[in-house]
Amino acid sequence: MLKRTFLLAASGLALAGALGLPAAAEPKGKDAEVTILVSPLTFAFPHFVFLTDELKDEANKLGGVTVVVADGQLSAPKQIADIEAAIVQGVDGIILAPVEADALAPVVQQAIDAGIAVVTVDRPVNGVPDVLANVAADNFKGAEAQGEAVVKAFPDGATIVNLQGIPGDKTANDRNGGAHKVLDAAGEKYVFVAEQAGNFSRDKGLEVTENILTGLAEVPQVIIAANDDMALGAAQAVDARGLKGKVAIYGYDGSEDALKAVKSGDLAATIDQFPGLQGRTAVSTLVAFIREGTRPESAEVLVAPVAITADNLDQAERVGQIGE
Amino acid sequence: MTKAQADELSRARMYALLGKLAPLIFLLALVIIFASLQPRFLLPLNLFNILRQVSIYGIIAIGMTFVILIRGIDLSVGAVVAMSGLCAAVVAKGGIEGRFMLSADGSGYHWALAALAAILAGTVAGLLQGMAVAWLSVPAFVVTLGGMTVFRGIALTIGNGGPISGFDEAFGWWGRGMIGPVPVPVLIFAAVALIAWVVLTQTRFGRAVYAVGSNPDAARLSGINVSGVTLSVYALIGFCSGLGGFVLASRLNSAEAVAGTGYELTAIAAVVIGGTSLYGGTGGVAGTVIGALLTGVLLNGLVILNVSPYTQQILVGLIIVAAVAFDHFIKRQSR
Repeated sequence: MLKRTFLLAASGLALAGALGLPAAAEPKGKDAEVTILVSPLTFAFPHFVFLTDELKDEANKLGGVTVVVADGQLSAPKQIADIEAAIVQGVDGIILAPVEADALAPVVQQAIDAGIAVVTVDRPVNGVPDVLANVAADNFKGAEAQGEAVVKAFPDGATIVNLQGIPGDKTANDRNGGAHKVLDAAGEKYVFVAEQAGNFSRDKGLEVTENILTGLAEVPQVIIAANDDMALGAAQAVDARGLKGKVAIYGYDGSEDALKAVKSGDLAATIDQFPGLQGRTAVSTLVAFIREGTRPESAEVLVAPVAITADNLDQAERVGQIGE
Repeated sequence: MTKAQADELSRARMYALLGKLAPLIFLLALVIIFASLQPRFLLPLNLFNILRQVSIYGIIAIGMTFVILIRGIDLSVGAVVAMSGLCAAVVAKGGIEGRFMLSADGSGYHWALAALAAILAGTVAGLLQGMAVAWLSVPAFVVTLGGMTVFRGIALTIGNGGPISGFDEAFGWWGRGMIGPVPVPVLIFAAVALIAWVVLTQTRFGRAVYAVGSNPDAARLSGINVSGVTLSVYALIGFCSGLGGFVLASRLNSAEAVAGTGYELTAIAAVVIGGTSLYGGTGGVAGTVIGALLTGVLLNGLVILNVSPYTQQILVGLIIVAAVAFDHFIKRQSR
């Protein structure tokens, strides 16, 4: 795949050697049967559905890998129970997108103590140094890319509406922070005229945008949203007000619907964090360790997010799904 | 009657009237506050915004009024909205590309069939839960808590976790269209509210609903088919949720499994703010309409004033409690 180039740190499975790192268990051998538990945050977000699908596809290609999937349902207790069950079943490895970085730490440690290798994907757990790797895209960096895309398209400044995610959520905070960092630093000509939570959902994004557009005396030039669903809701509201084409809307996630909207001009851009690549890298890293004891060069395997506009649509991971 | 007694009576009457109007008074007070802080609040555009935003969970809150009147509760409505929206989407699209096809040539169906699919899915969901409540005597809280995850799961399965988007104009009219200056969902909400009001106040079924809610045993002894009423009420809220799901899918031009999250609490809040008792038997549709409007005005007004989302949550909670407390205070004065 093309996007391999976006791996910052080598996802490369070059031998790091056993530099004093205690291997939890002996390598099982090159063609050994491997069973892994995959526990994504929730299947309610297409992001994780796609990540898991690509992960399973990569596992198929590797061969001899059985993937057991448990939906995290945005619930830390659910995830903890799933992992406890997997420890009892004696899986070889776990791939986890933790709902809460702190709450999941004890059970992850428990799994590692039981000789199970753990890779986190999309987001890390806190304070468990023995986690094999954290394969993730940095939300803060992605939001910086979003802000930079705005600055590039509006060099003379802009009035900006900011649709934030769920108040208090880490992803929401990071994405809000990254966009603010770039746009605040770009000078006073970039003005946030309204900042509201759209809770990452399309209906709330639509409602909030309707309300903001009515409340503002002047039409804003830019709407940035912390995910694609809210951006698409905002596009709906902008269209209903007859302002299509007058407000540049920036989404985040590179979802299928958003790519279609970028293609048709409803959205100015979306940020692709390459969830498929994250899933594939997570499973190949984990299986290489279980079979051959290979560790990644760094425990932080970062995927660089990219702003996708109509000009570089072909770089998007899910562009193949939107048809001609 | 002495003069003192007469005064006492007229005072009680006045409070009784005030009691009925308490939610409305609170609503008007909120409107005045928002309008004085931000004059744009009163723009016709904004008022129609509020009405449109209120209409979908308003439709569901109407159904919820019946459920709460018989001392029940339905936590599954948000999930049913998502599931029925996806049913409508699948029918409108004639299947899901690459997964399954409903029509031979892969073309979509008419919006009317899509709407029917949504309403049918919702009604069946409600009916099944009603059966468990009425015949198996499982507490409604438990049944619908289970239903909440079951129907959300079905919604996720239908769409494979992702959204189904892009419908034709005729489908979109139901959520985004206008008749004159009035958005179509508002008219649907008004029609549902009116029909529900007539049913509740003018029919035998309506009287049976109040009777079951006031005292199920007495209702049974006086010959009312309590199971039948219970079953019908849950089917009815299923119908409302299905309709809501269709309108929401049409409005968003997209159906997704996460749609309608939290609608159950918004709907229950609208019913309770409107003066319907959680202990059943008293309240009605008019109050629920006011309750839904109050919730809508609150959310809209705080956004228009650009209040921080953190502060908003504090204010929303406080104002909802204040609204219900005000209602109870006035009603206590009339006794």
